[in-house]
Amino acid sequence: MKTTLICALPFILGAATAHAEETLAIYNWGDYINPEVLTKFTQETGIRVTLDTYSANEEMLAKVQQGGTGYDIVFPSVWMEDIMLKLGLLERTDIDTAADFGNIDPQFQRAKGDPEGHYCLPYAWGTVGIFYNEDVTGPITGWADFFAIPGRTGKKITLLDDMREVLGMGLIMTGAPVNATDPGQIQAAAQYVISHKKDVTAFTYESMPLLVSGDIAAAHYFVGGNMYAVDHPNIKYIIPEEGATMYQEDICVLKDAPNKAAARKFMEFYLTPEIAALNVAQQFNGTPNRPANELTPDFIKSNPNINVQGDTMARLQIFEDLGPALKAYDRAWNAIRTAQ
Amino acid sequence: MTHRQRVQLFLLLTPVTVFLGVFFLIPLGTIAVYSLLTPGLYGGVEWSFYHWNYGRIFGWADGITEVFEPVYLHILLRSLGLAAATVAICLVLCYPVAFWVAGLAPRWRMLFLFLITLPFFASLIVRLYAWLLLLKPSGLLNTVLMGLGVITEPLDILYTPVAVILGMVYIFLPFMFLPLFASIDTLDRSLIEASGDLGARPVQTLLKVVLPMTVPGIVAGGVIVFIPAVGNFIVPDVLGGAKGLMTGNLIEQQFLSSRNWPFGSALAMVIMALVLGVLLVFSNRARRAGGRT
Repeated sequence: MKTTLICALPFILGAATAHAEETLAIYNWGDYINPEVLTKFTQETGIRVTLDTYSANEEMLAKVQQGGTGYDIVFPSVWMEDIMLKLGLLERTDIDTAADFGNIDPQFQRAKGDPEGHYCLPYAWGTVGIFYNEDVTGPITGWADFFAIPGRTGKKITLLDDMREVLGMGLIMTGAPVNATDPGQIQAAAQYVISHKKDVTAFTYESMPLLVSGDIAAAHYFVGGNMYAVDHPNIKYIIPEEGATMYQEDICVLKDAPNKAAARKFMEFYLTPEIAALNVAQQFNGTPNRPANELTPDFIKSNPNINVQGDTMARLQIFEDLGPALKAYDRAWNAIRTAQ
Repeated sequence: MTHRQRVQLFLLLTPVTVFLGVFFLIPLGTIAVYSLLTPGLYGGVEWSFYHWNYGRIFGWADGITEVFEPVYLHILLRSLGLAAATVAICLVLCYPVAFWVAGLAPRWRMLFLFLITLPFFASLIVRLYAWLLLLKPSGLLNTVLMGLGVITEPLDILYTPVAVILGMVYIFLPFMFLPLFASIDTLDRSLIEASGDLGARPVQTLLKVVLPMTVPGIVAGGVIVFIPAVGNFIVPDVLGGAKGLMTGNLIEQQFLSSRNWPFGSALAMVIMALVLGVLLVFSNRARRAGGRT
């Protein structure tokens, strides 16, 4: 709340002194952009940037649907981008005509409603896998090994406190696609998770510090957790051999954005390989910007579990909007959470 | 009432009425209405009547549009149980302390009241993460106990129901203490002496004189702790490892990942009704108990 106020203040002041200073209002996930990228953008263009954050696609959607947010740019996940396109909330930018658009690897133009890139710019992507303390567990390769850790070593493991991620893992382990809408498949996935619940210490997003301090032996977590692995060589990250989920967010301009010109400038700025690489260096995730991959720090570039290539890529699945089938996931998740 | 008095009363009551009207009644009315509407596909509501939100909780779902599952009532009852346990433990811990502090010299009393409210100076989330650091296997508690040789293996407290109760009691302790203290502080201590002089044993004095006279403080503290405790989900999440679903989580989930605002609204209405019911029973009993003196 406090950050919202502090961030909104310069924007309000900026609006009051119209034209005195150009402003770009960004609404992004928490900790999902390297602050240096924003500083560099201001240095280069003279446009001031304000940053508000959200922690769920649905939170962003609810706010944007009310209208009058004053935000120029949002960062929806691909499935949410498709919903926003259907609802007519996004502005066409023709970013595909930008000089550097050729830097974008076409496989990341994933939005079904925007296959050409007329609207949004692929921003960043990442994987959700397993972090483990190799001193305790030895090398592990996938989910089966992960769930065997408590029985084998007496140490603890954690899963994410996230409905789609946990059920997605269950679907992978029961041989179903992560976007399954068949109630039987969803229930089987829930049963798989429930059968391992006794071995799971907690569903939490706060697992990385506990992993580093040795209080847990392994955790289901986002690739971004590798920022902890840099200083702790015993902490390893893998994309499970059975399969894993990936996420991708795109940079989109809102239909009611007050400063569309600045938003387009930001998209063009972010097409620069050096800028995309600067973001990766702090975020430890993947970039759809091909030349940027060559410019990232060696720790990231040389790790096939972070800088994911061909055959590993084939093990990844991305979430899509489930429409009415979401209800079956809600019920399965409640069953997992309340199982004794 | 003179005209002047009426104008004064009007001016004094208007701000609070407007405030409550805008920030309490309108949101409450919105939730009440939403709870009877059809869920929108992408969150929000569609403006058509839909009673299945309640059917899903209480059992008249048709099994096709919505499915009845007893799990929701179970979650609601568990939240009420956790809140009741929090109230009971807070009361047992606070009562003797409030009695002791009330008997101190005014100078010391102020110091202790200040100490009780000291935790409010830091954010709740920060304090809960501090508890996480205290309770984890390699945390301060286990390090100290093992260093003293009290235990040889770290205690497994974090992510258990014990950690949840500890966290809840810690958060709500001051809310119980302050009304209790106010009530005990105004207690006429000569009545305790009189009770003793008339031959009552200390236990009798406590049960028949002191407790009945401090019922208002007990009720006030109980209510102030119980209501927010029912909806609390941060403690079960952070210290309980989100392994047991609480009403608060369930409602939050309906407004975010499950995109079912009407069902979330229905759950919120039901929990409000349950809390109100519990409080009515509780305060009636307390009034009758208080009335006996």
